[in-house]
Amino acid sequence: MATVEERIKQVVSSVLNVPEDEIKPEANFAVDLGAESIQSVELVAAFEEEFDIEMDEDEALQVQTVGAAVEFISNVMKEQGKL
Amino acid sequence: MKERNTGMRLCIYEDCYENLYPISYLRPVFELRCGRTLLREKIERALGPADGCFVRDALATAWAEKLACKVNDASLISGQDLMLVNGRAIFANVEIDRQGPEEAAMSGDEVVYARLNAATLQKLGQKTIPGILEAAAKGLPGRQLDVTVVRFPWDLVFANPAAIEDDFRVLGTTGRSGKFADGAYIYGDEARVHISDSAEVHPTAVLDAAHGPIILDEGVVVYPHTRVEGPTSIGRDTLLVGGKIREETSIGPVCRVGGEVEASIIHGYSNKYHDGFLGHAYVGEWVNLGALTTNSDLKNDYSTVSVYLNGKLTDSGSMKTGAFIGDHTKTGIGTFFNTGTVVGVMCNLLGSGGSLPKFLPSFCWYFNEMIAKGTGLRSLIETARAAMARRDIELTAADEGLMRYTYEITKEERDKLVKRDRRKLRVRR
Repeated sequence: MATVEERIKQVVSSVLNVPEDEIKPEANFAVDLGAESIQSVELVAAFEEEFDIEMDEDEALQVQTVGAAVEFISNVMKEQGKL
Repeated sequence: MKERNTGMRLCIYEDCYENLYPISYLRPVFELRCGRTLLREKIERALGPADGCFVRDALATAWAEKLACKVNDASLISGQDLMLVNGRAIFANVEIDRQGPEEAAMSGDEVVYARLNAATLQKLGQKTIPGILEAAAKGLPGRQLDVTVVRFPWDLVFANPAAIEDDFRVLGTTGRSGKFADGAYIYGDEARVHISDSAEVHPTAVLDAAHGPIILDEGVVVYPHTRVEGPTSIGRDTLLVGGKIREETSIGPVCRVGGEVEASIIHGYSNKYHDGFLGHAYVGEWVNLGALTTNSDLKNDYSTVSVYLNGKLTDSGSMKTGAFIGDHTKTGIGTFFNTGTVVGVMCNLLGSGGSLPKFLPSFCWYFNEMIAKGTGLRSLIETARAAMARRDIELTAADEGLMRYTYEITKEERDKLVKRDRRKLRVRR
């Protein structure tokens, strides 16, 4: 079973069209991975679909790096009984 | 407006507002526009100022700030002779008096108004508007009136030409008053044109009144290379920035409009600056239609157009039916609407080449052929606040409360479509 981090990287790779091995925990979605504003919204939606969770849009869009996304999504999954 | 007739209290009520979504989410139905004026303004023009209005509870706080009369004051429906008027009735070309015998006037099976004296009100013992109306329809002398009672959003569009004619009849002509430049032109009878004193018509603008009257309200500017074809009404401080404003169109106050508009109502404070076609549509307030935003109003097979209302496709009965766009919605460049599209309030829509879905729920984003949650309610409210501030209008706490309420009542339909479209993002492994 893939870890949360691995699944996040797969989603990011799919949405932003970036090879998975280039997606590091410290990578900033906008600065390093080229996510424009619409793609940030799309990423949030893709994460919700991947993990079957609902995220607060304001809070989710404040998350700036892959590593922070792992932590944020893991917390949401725990709150919503998915982890 | 008529002198107030103190003999009979006048109250305007709203009902059946769900069938007028999305343009009735944030306003009572009697605040909808048909012709130059709002439905309430026509009623008050005929009958004098209303003593009270009755609206959904959720609208009461916000609209008590905006309306001159009392809102949802139950004391108004007892103790005195009362005329209750249906806020969906179009009071155009009608002779109805505030004072008169007790009666329930109907248009088909819809109440237009009920006049009841104080004793009858007491005897009926009803404490709600629906209760009073039901009892009045059963118990009072009735008569049928030739009055349109709006049931669906497209009814406003279809009634618009006659409403413009009636509003023009009330205003009267001014011919070439205002600032009418050399090189501007009136085609047709100048007696069919009303140009307010502070309106401007620039060189090469054409006002074509051959087929209907044209009203240019205070502060309107018609810039060069604009053709305005009557019957059409242009509201206060609206700028026409080039293009074709075609027949049967009403534009409310403080709009910026260019490109092509036909047989449509733009409520007010909205922008369609650039090229793109808008036809047989009703656009709410604070809408911005990006460049080349276009809607279809005629199917290729010329069949009648169906519209999603409250989750169901409803036949408009007409070949010509466009889009119904809720307040504060924004479209990006090149957004295309199919025939009979309904767009909720406060949406952010980005075209992606083809037509958008025929129903877009309130507060959604649309991009890459997907309905999505977007950046959420808070940012949409802040965008609304910023847009209104540009026109020196405050988004009050009550307005914000109404938006939040509307967000909640539209949550279920929105979440269903968001979850459906989100599946397109599933990672293929």
